Amino acid sequence: MINSFLEIVVPYTAFAIFIVGIIIRIVNWAKSPVPLKIVTTCGQQYTLPFIKRTVWDKLEAPYTKLGVIPRMFFEVFMFRSLFRNTRYYIDKHEARDTRWLWGFALMFHVSFFITLIRHLRFFTDPVPKWVIALSELEALKIFVPSVYITGITGLIGLTYLLLRRLYGKKERTLSYPSDYFPLLLLISIFITGLWMRYISKIPLINVKKLALGLVTLHPVAPDVHPLFLLHFMLVCTLIAYFPFSKLVHAIGIFFSTTRVMPNNCRAVRHVNPWNPPYEGITWEEYYQNYKDQLDEIAEKGYVIRPEIEEEEEEEEEEEGGEKE
Amino acid sequence: MTEEEVPPPEELKIEPRYPSWREMLKPVTEKDFKPGFYHYSANVSDMEELHLPFPREWDPKEKDWKLPENWKEIFLNKLKEICDKNRSFKLFMDICVRCGACADKCHYYLGTGDPKNMPVGRAEILRSVYRRYFTISGKIFGELVGARDLTEDVVKEMYYYLYQCSQCRRCSVFCPYGIDTAEIDLWGRDLLTSIGINHKFTLISIAGCARAGNHLGLLPGGMVGSLQMAAEDIYNITGIEIEVPVNKKGAEILFVAPSGDYFAVPHWYTFMGYLMLFHEIGLDYTWSTYAGEGGNFGSFQSYKLAQKLNAKIYQEAERLGVKWILGGECGHMWRDKHQYMATMNEIPENLEEPVSPITGTKFENAVSTKMVHIAEFVADLIYHNKLKLDPSRNDHWKVTLHDSCNPARAMGLLEEPRYVIGNVCNYFYEMPAHTIREKTYCCASGGGNLADEVMELRMRGGMPRAMALKHVHEKYGVNYLCTLCAIDRAAFPHLLEYWKLPVEVGGMMELVGNALIMKGEKERTTDLRGQPLKGREE
Repeated sequence: MINSFLEIVVPYTAFAIFIVGIIIRIVNWAKSPVPLKIVTTCGQQYTLPFIKRTVWDKLEAPYTKLGVIPRMFFEVFMFRSLFRNTRYYIDKHEARDTRWLWGFALMFHVSFFITLIRHLRFFTDPVPKWVIALSELEALKIFVPSVYITGITGLIGLTYLLLRRLYGKKERTLSYPSDYFPLLLLISIFITGLWMRYISKIPLINVKKLALGLVTLHPVAPDVHPLFLLHFMLVCTLIAYFPFSKLVHAIGIFFSTTRVMPNNCRAVRHVNPWNPPYEGITWEEYYQNYKDQLDEIAEKGYVIRPEIEEEEEEEEEEEGGEKE
Repeated sequence: MTEEEVPPPEELKIEPRYPSWREMLKPVTEKDFKPGFYHYSANVSDMEELHLPFPREWDPKEKDWKLPENWKEIFLNKLKEICDKNRSFKLFMDICVRCGACADKCHYYLGTGDPKNMPVGRAEILRSVYRRYFTISGKIFGELVGARDLTEDVVKEMYYYLYQCSQCRRCSVFCPYGIDTAEIDLWGRDLLTSIGINHKFTLISIAGCARAGNHLGLLPGGMVGSLQMAAEDIYNITGIEIEVPVNKKGAEILFVAPSGDYFAVPHWYTFMGYLMLFHEIGLDYTWSTYAGEGGNFGSFQSYKLAQKLNAKIYQEAERLGVKWILGGECGHMWRDKHQYMATMNEIPENLEEPVSPITGTKFENAVSTKMVHIAEFVADLIYHNKLKLDPSRNDHWKVTLHDSCNPARAMGLLEEPRYVIGNVCNYFYEMPAHTIREKTYCCASGGGNLADEVMELRMRGGMPRAMALKHVHEKYGVNYLCTLCAIDRAAFPHLLEYWKLPVEVGGMMELVGNALIMKGEKERTTDLRGQPLKGREE
């Protein structure tokens, strides 16, 4: 009974929450219009033909929608903007490049992604060749069982992310419990996973049965090792937690208006669906307000000329009169 | 407050504070507002003139801000409305992970050490309220997820910190998700406007511009007086009598500059530069008194006020029947013109795709908005050898370029000014790489912070830029800070005096004006400032 609850009801519920939650998020973002094209340019704009744009300019100030694709590719897969990171040394009054956050954050994200793919071997039968190939590629076979690099690097990355929040002064000030929670959750998931593989070496037959049952919609609730059950519950928590937390940044970035819009603001008009009508002074009202002064400009034939030498004094008097 | 009242640089302490997350959620209120950092409240007359809600006298330093009775309801409704109307804002409320990459990118944070001046700290002031009322986790877990109730104290904190942002977008360059604090800040200010909280300096300028056609509230006669005086100054230096068209129907081009250019010093020399160039190339153009302002302080405040001001440019272009619009040197103006104007307004049908009448070049990147930046226009003239230039007339200047925030980060105008400067000056030096181009530091007086009452904030926030300038001043003897922004030109003289840097501030067109050899000019002995030219001293 408890088995069916934990192994069937919980995962399906968590997954349902995840899917529905994510869809609600996406719909919620997508249904709000984008009133302005507010791209952040990090390179030279497309301009006169003799002003050359480097590859980086084209990447960071894309002129076309197509040009946005490489920009987003680098943002999503290489954390381009984070790569720019600097640290300001107040005593020296200068900023220097710092890539620690970039390196460890990327390390974690890539490792997590590959680890997820590796887990497909539990959910598929037969296991696709490319999943096996990928797993083989990163396996250190000098150990038995062979050690998957990304399992380790993922944990290292997470540990760094946690430590900087704990020991970085700025970062600690900025961190809510809701910032530690997903980190601790992920670290627990990694640790239980590694523990199962390298220390407890738990049997996997029932785990695979469970996983296959879930994806084929013929769920079974076999007996599994309690450590696995813990790992599994933590994962379900993460999945259900995802849509309601800051973890939605993974999807949100694809909506980020400063990055996904091309910098062709003056070349291609952006329309705001709720643009309000103009409310303000018209030329007619303006003319009525300042009729005398405007008429004087008209009298001059709409051209202002310098008053030179002897006429200067006279003109100044007239000017004074105008202003009254 | 003037810069003399700010403690001198030697005594200025920057002590970063690192409170706990719980303390971060406690609002900073009027008791903690420091002179030199908080802004004065708006004039009742300006609020009335702009039809803003709840005009009344109130003082940020007093406990009672005289908010309307149902202010909370209004505020939350407005917040919901903003989220529903603006994906960027909603998204930026949701996806921040508080990685802190933005923190030491903000010049105000660097200069004050106040954690709520980190871009993320500033945004969290709003986000905490958003979470509490619009997210499930915030409703359930409250403070644990960084959510807090909306109270009057929170509103006070918003006012204090949302106006300590110059909307320069430097943080947005470094944010891994491109979160744009300027966007959050702009809509946050709009939120405050909805419950009757406004800022004096910005509103005076907006009201002046809406009424008279420029931020200074200068009447048409005053603007004409300025144009005439500049023409006389040009006569004195070059011996050439130029004519300046104003409100002229049927001209080919409408020229719009920030009003600071025809009013203040050192803007004045840039202003002369425009007039000299247009005369020399025989441009068929006109100034306008109705659309006499390129800048747009409305864009610091709200969508509607931004539209109220930039609409007039298109209206005037239509009335005068011009073909396209040329814009002067200004920073936020170009965010407004590049990203806002053509969206906020219908583009008049009489406008045509901008083509330089001198070179025949079509400005392809401006075919829809029909507005071209003066640096683009001049770079094109120089490239086609349409100008006779004597760069040695700028030899008394060792020039560096301050990229203004908005042209750099909202437009990508980086190489055009460098191309022009490279052709009109012989001595040009770049400041350190992390302080220029898209990473440029703000002058710390943009976004409404040009107000005198926040002088200490300005002097502190300008520290990173001042230090970068100090570096090139000491290394290369740089004595001219070139900047294509009217607010910069107003702000930097104070900043550089405070930080004791003997560097003059001026615009690109001043340098062009110096170098430009005009037909029939007398031998020049001075630059546009009346300073003797190098090698031609008496």
